[in-house]
Amino acid sequence: MKIDHSQPLEYSTQQNQMNILGFWIFLGAEIMLFGTLFASYFTLNNGVGSGPSGSEVFEITPVLLETIILLTSSFTIGLATHAMRINNKKATLAFLAITLLLGLSFLGVEVYEFINYYHEGLTLQTSAFSAMLLLTLGTHGAHVTFGLFWGLFIFLQIKKQGFTVGTTNKSFIFSLYWHFLDVVWIFIFSFIYLKGMM
Amino acid sequence: MRELFPAKQVMGFIFSLVLTAIALSVYFTDMSFQVGMTILLITAFIQAALQLVFFMHAGESQDKNAIYTGIYYGIAIALVTVFGTLLTLIWGYM
Repeated sequence: MKIDHSQPLEYSTQQNQMNILGFWIFLGAEIMLFGTLFASYFTLNNGVGSGPSGSEVFEITPVLLETIILLTSSFTIGLATHAMRINNKKATLAFLAITLLLGLSFLGVEVYEFINYYHEGLTLQTSAFSAMLLLTLGTHGAHVTFGLFWGLFIFLQIKKQGFTVGTTNKSFIFSLYWHFLDVVWIFIFSFIYLKGMM
Repeated sequence: MRELFPAKQVMGFIFSLVLTAIALSVYFTDMSFQVGMTILLITAFIQAALQLVFFMHAGESQDKNAIYTGIYYGIAIALVTVFGTLLTLIWGYM
């Protein structure tokens, strides 16, 4: 394995560079996946049947809370990558931990929201609108949940092994994933929630 | 401590909060659907680009061209899917 010391550690081998490029291509595919979900949502969001519509169930407070939590966590994972590049292990772990805690609180608010929807009679089977809403939100939420476990394991690996060619590469790729989830949320926030409440 | 908060990232974060506040104006003020959608489209796409460039360092490696090609391709397909679906199933065409 040839290590190129002129590059940051996460880019320092051929394999590492290919891992990062491959992950970007995966993110391109993820954009298409969410594109299909949004297309279905925009097509079906008037099909509320006898169930409640978006403007009846959406609440601004939890949505705004989720947005700010996720924006902040995207900022802290960026800081974690920066701390990794200046070789500060303690700061990297701290920022990573803050990111994961913010991710957990995001999920907490989302679960609260889903329970609220249930009590207002909006479930996966209620209408075309409710099915697509919960599927879109759920796909994003499932990505966040997966990211929490992924991030936790990377946290443990950096704690145990320090910064190596392997761990820096993994945590950089994780940061790409986490930023991507924030990008998807921005579109959910704008074109599902704000558009629905406008 | 200062070195842990690079200006570029802090600026990016503040800018994304400002964009969120602008998007929120759609909810808190009374405006037509067209104006609201225009604001949302602009703020959402600027924010996405901001994340990509400021936080994800999309342009820093030597695979820059391949990375941007993949992302643009993904975005193009997603846009064709969304607007093509709307065109054929909702707006109708003559």
